[in-house]
Amino acid sequence: MDKKTLLVAEHIDKRFGTTHAVNDVSINIAAGEVRALIGENGSGKSTFCQMLCGIYTIGGGTFTLDGKELHIKNQVEANDEGISIIVQEMGTLSGLTVAENIYLGHEAPFMHMGVKDTRAMNREAQKLLDEYGFGRIKAGAMIDNYNFEDRKLVEIVKATYMKPKILVIDETTTALSQNGRLELYKIMDAVRADGRSVIFISHDLGEVLTHSDTVSILRDGEYIDTVNSADVTEDDLKRLMVGREIGSAYYRTDYGTPISGEVVLSVRGVTVPGEIEDVSFDLHRGEILGFGGLSECGMHEVGKAIFGASWDRKGSVTLADGTAINSIPTAIKHSIAYTSKDRDNESIIINESIRNNVVLPSLDDLASHGLLSGGKLTRFAREHAEGMQTKMQGVGQFVSDLSGGNKQKVVLARWIGKDSDILVLDSPTRGIDVKVKQAIYALMADMQKRGKSIIMISEEIPELLGMSDRIFVMKDGRINGEFMRDPSLSEEDLIAKMV
Amino acid sequence: MEKTNNRDNQQSRLRAFLAGDTFKALLPLIGFAIIIIVLNIMTQGRILTPKKLRLLLSSIYSPTIVATGVFFVMTLGSIDFTEGSTLGVASLVVSALSFINVPLAILGGILCGTAIGAINGFFHVKFKLQSFIVTICTMYLFRGVCAYFTTETAVPASADIRALDIDGLKIGITVAVLLVAWFLFRFTRIGNDVKAVGSGETAARFSGVHTDRVKFLAFVAAGALTGLAAFVNVIKVGSITATAGNQLETQILISLVLGGLPITGGAKVRFSNIIVGTLMYAVLNSGLAILGYDPQTQQLIKGVIFLIFVALTIDRKALKVIK
Repeated sequence: MDKKTLLVAEHIDKRFGTTHAVNDVSINIAAGEVRALIGENGSGKSTFCQMLCGIYTIGGGTFTLDGKELHIKNQVEANDEGISIIVQEMGTLSGLTVAENIYLGHEAPFMHMGVKDTRAMNREAQKLLDEYGFGRIKAGAMIDNYNFEDRKLVEIVKATYMKPKILVIDETTTALSQNGRLELYKIMDAVRADGRSVIFISHDLGEVLTHSDTVSILRDGEYIDTVNSADVTEDDLKRLMVGREIGSAYYRTDYGTPISGEVVLSVRGVTVPGEIEDVSFDLHRGEILGFGGLSECGMHEVGKAIFGASWDRKGSVTLADGTAINSIPTAIKHSIAYTSKDRDNESIIINESIRNNVVLPSLDDLASHGLLSGGKLTRFAREHAEGMQTKMQGVGQFVSDLSGGNKQKVVLARWIGKDSDILVLDSPTRGIDVKVKQAIYALMADMQKRGKSIIMISEEIPELLGMSDRIFVMKDGRINGEFMRDPSLSEEDLIAKMV
Repeated sequence: MEKTNNRDNQQSRLRAFLAGDTFKALLPLIGFAIIIIVLNIMTQGRILTPKKLRLLLSSIYSPTIVATGVFFVMTLGSIDFTEGSTLGVASLVVSALSFINVPLAILGGILCGTAIGAINGFFHVKFKLQSFIVTICTMYLFRGVCAYFTTETAVPASADIRALDIDGLKIGITVAVLLVAWFLFRFTRIGNDVKAVGSGETAARFSGVHTDRVKFLAFVAAGALTGLAAFVNVIKVGSITATAGNQLETQILISLVLGGLPITGGAKVRFSNIIVGTLMYAVLNSGLAILGYDPQTQQLIKGVIFLIFVALTIDRKALKVIK
């Protein structure tokens, strides 16, 4: 019954400065196994896989694949050894065609005396795309013509066409819609059926249990346990990840709380060409207003439009006192906060300290007679970053060193510091582990009690149902349905309006 | 066993230090010390004579003033190649107006520089052109203007303005510029805003920074200060030729990078980069001259040192195209 062992990882170790990212981790993976790797943000699962794939150098220990010890220096060498990875963020290169992306680093078969045979490459790439059922993607077209999701599909082809022995999928599903996910699951099943293996990293524990054979848990860089997916529940996994019992009070539990009649923000006829069409609604005091839909439905642009960040917006966004919000500085000045789905580019300055990120929107408030005092800024940043329980060495630490969950805490800390009354949160829990998620939901509920109004834009239907007083579902740039908070409201009700 | 562990620890700590930010921040000072010591030995102490020091000082006033303006542009992660030609054109304006009266000449120089800075800023911001493209174009344009007025003969300045060639005045202007700029950078929003744009423009915009305004003003400041430096330049040289301010832009760029300013701008920029950098460049320059190298060899040596510094100080995490 014992299957052949395909990958042996022994005493794998990695330090980044003072952080011990991966601490002496040993794992065996059998041929034909889908192994999920779970853990909180910063638990070391991505770092572990990136060492296996040659993205990071191995700090200590050995990987043995099929009886052969690996000495991989980069991703192309990893591919040659039969290991490939689909990464969390954008993994395709702009400015190249779909085919050039698929064969990046493996152009040799199409080279004749130093000249590339583009037609042969396109032909082969198209054949692959058709085989995968992605025939609508054209091999000869520029990758830039396709959206995030299609580019992910191209990446999947790129990572799997050469039939790697080990396929690493690093939190890819959060970027995919339901259809894209189904395609990915199919590929995972095919790899397993073929006697090869998958390492599957995901925060979605439901998906982990349904699509993996075994689950290994990491915590703070250390190996905790490996369990059979069939023998455990989501709560078991959460407990293993966090090291303690997670309460059941994940979302808010109140129902039937009336929404205040006081309108704090009115959106009228807002159109952003190519993104949203004629969107109108009111936001009330103390309300959590959810926005849901498929990822291209325009809901993310609604957040930007309210914050005055759209490049070409028609229609009006006004506060209760009639102030028109037309630019980001006006929005911030009038107590509107915004956190972007694209956290690393739009929400925080990666190559800056936690301190300077937290104080940035509040600089005018912190200045006396136009003058800033360094000590005051540091105290302000420390107070709010610590208030959010950010895991950090100090407020001088650069944000680029932090995990996704801690970055999001820094983003929230700055707006709590600013004491904004209207918060536009786009995908606030994207790529974030259960413990931080729980903290964010608790924070939202607390802000609501204090009379703050929240717009939550989310691709996660359970969190929309769990947290919102009211939900708008968008489709093709327009509001396509409105739902009130109700225990009987189901995911299907919302999905019906999305597609 | 424990001993080897200890040594391993020490080694890894040393490696971490060498790769770390503290070392990078100290590098300019270490480099400065090395350059002084090496040049001092090679010239057998001739570089540190009072006469040489005075000469050295007199060569740094105008570059320091210019570098202070360019400092803001480079903190944005942008680049400005127009200082040399701006200095040339503004020097012409200063000389011409100096025959009316000196205050008017100073004002005219500053306004001329401001106008050129505004043109750079306008094209960079409004048309979203990369700053090095814009400023290379305007550099050629204003170099041409400068040549047009100086081909026949050098343009002289009035005797009034040449009479102002007093060390105290030049030191005073330079120190005043540094103090005001330091104050703005350190104690007002301006410093935070330019650093934020340099570290991440999109995120800065989403944090409420008026990114377009900040970028425009940085170019205007660089132009205005170059215009002021033109006055100090005219005091010193007395008459303007076609080569006025030639290659000043590269001198400033090299100075700031020698001073430890990361070419990508952003969070790791320090105000002291200006002072350390201009001093270092001046010492290097005078040392190489005393050693009797011909200008071509001097340029070659400076180029090599510059490359080494860029490679050592650049922030690879923040690496991106210069805006």
